[in-house]
Amino acid sequence: MAERVLELRDVRYRYPTGAEALDGVTVDVGAGEKVGLVGPNGAGKSTLLLAIAGFLPAEGHIRVAGHTLTASTARDVRRHLGLVFQDPDDQLFMPRLGEDVAFGPQTMGLGPAEVETRVAEALEAVGMAGCEDRSPHHLSQGEKQRAALATVLAMRPQILALDEPTAGLDPRARRRLMDLLRGFASTLLVVGHDLDLILRVCGRAVLMDSGRVAADGPAEQLLADRVLLESHGLELPPSLADRA
Amino acid sequence: MHHVMLDHFAAQDTPVHRLDPAAKTLAALALILATVLVQRDHLLPFTIVAAALAAYYVVGKVPPLYAAKRLLIVSPFVLAVVVLFPFFEPGQRLWAVHLGPWVLSVSDVGLARAAHLGSKFVLCALTALGLLATTPFHGVLAGLARLRVPRAFVVQLAFLYRYLWVLLDEGMRLRRARLARDAGQGPWRVRFRSHTSLVGVLFLRTFDRAERIYWAMAARGFDGRLPAPAVRKMQAKDAVFLAAAAAIALTVLLLDRLLYG
Repeated sequence: MAERVLELRDVRYRYPTGAEALDGVTVDVGAGEKVGLVGPNGAGKSTLLLAIAGFLPAEGHIRVAGHTLTASTARDVRRHLGLVFQDPDDQLFMPRLGEDVAFGPQTMGLGPAEVETRVAEALEAVGMAGCEDRSPHHLSQGEKQRAALATVLAMRPQILALDEPTAGLDPRARRRLMDLLRGFASTLLVVGHDLDLILRVCGRAVLMDSGRVAADGPAEQLLADRVLLESHGLELPPSLADRA
Repeated sequence: MHHVMLDHFAAQDTPVHRLDPAAKTLAALALILATVLVQRDHLLPFTIVAAALAAYYVVGKVPPLYAAKRLLIVSPFVLAVVVLFPFFEPGQRLWAVHLGPWVLSVSDVGLARAAHLGSKFVLCALTALGLLATTPFHGVLAGLARLRVPRAFVVQLAFLYRYLWVLLDEGMRLRRARLARDAGQGPWRVRFRSHTSLVGVLFLRTFDRAERIYWAMAARGFDGRLPAPAVRKMQAKDAVFLAAAAAIALTVLLLDRLLYG
């Protein structure tokens, strides 16, 4: 395996209410790997993302891009982890798109010229070049989702972690995002129910259920295993179901 | 969902749109201050302000109907007070109506007072609307930051502007979901209670969203300090505009003091 950019060893987290959300998750991701994280509702997929970013006091060993996660290294970890939340209205919090994309690079302490380059580059990468002056609430859902992606791309993270990136998108916007993700060279962690997206974008799939890793393997095999998927409340991706 | 935006016409390209937001904000403040400080009941000072505003609206291509509509939206609060003045201010009785043991009368002083305050309100509101209609909101924010308005206040405004529409959308969706199941029958108490719980739900959702927004900010390195917006240099035309606005404000004040003092 290539150099590891993400190491999870026996990660555990219990909600304040007592329910077990993560029950010993162990996963390694190598540099440049594209991994789809699938599973039924409540499997702990989004919780795992929050734990990796250091937002939840999880137990176990979490290492991102060479930084072991502790309370004092959370900032370094987040710098290398581009986390895109499910609702782009949460992600885009500045009054102007340009300022929003500049937010990350600015908190990294980059100079104004470098920040400007990064903003232009990130917007260009998601096909929204020249949209710096637009307000987030004037964007369509597809544009919001791509803009949210640009806000983390501008930080040039080693890992991109996306939570349900195609939720609420129409087929055209979804396809556009899919093509975009396929073109990225960075390590990718995609959480979601859109199994077709994961099949097309990711080489590897990790199936989670009840806070545990239930299966881990090549996406083409794992997502074609009807028995396995159905035993965890999932179905074959539509593109494979048609063929069967 | 679509809302009519405050800065609906702010994306146009006219000479006043191209001015520095800080200069425009300062000019608007000067004009508002002068208008508020007028003391005499005379038309001339108000006419000067109105003429200046009219010129600004024409150059900025802001439709008068648009301004009038926005004015209507903000007016109820002030007009409710202004309308009462003629009835409560002492002075010569112009008109009276007898309602049983009570007499409702309109006084000349009260009427003049109402006209005076009403004009002030309309002019100030039109000044603020003119600024917002010709300056994108982020420009106004950058302007305020330039004028050394405390950072915390500017940031509050930025978040208010960003999330007000999101909150309105959420409230609208909740209301529709409630209406879709309200058959219009049954005890009013039950139906009223569902309204109050709607507000509670909205509050809780806002609370959750605030946490998610904080996470999204922290995920990108937020440590309690927001980056300062880019500073734009004031150009000659901005200085000229500001000087003109200051001259108008001063003229209004001097007229009020000297000619009628």
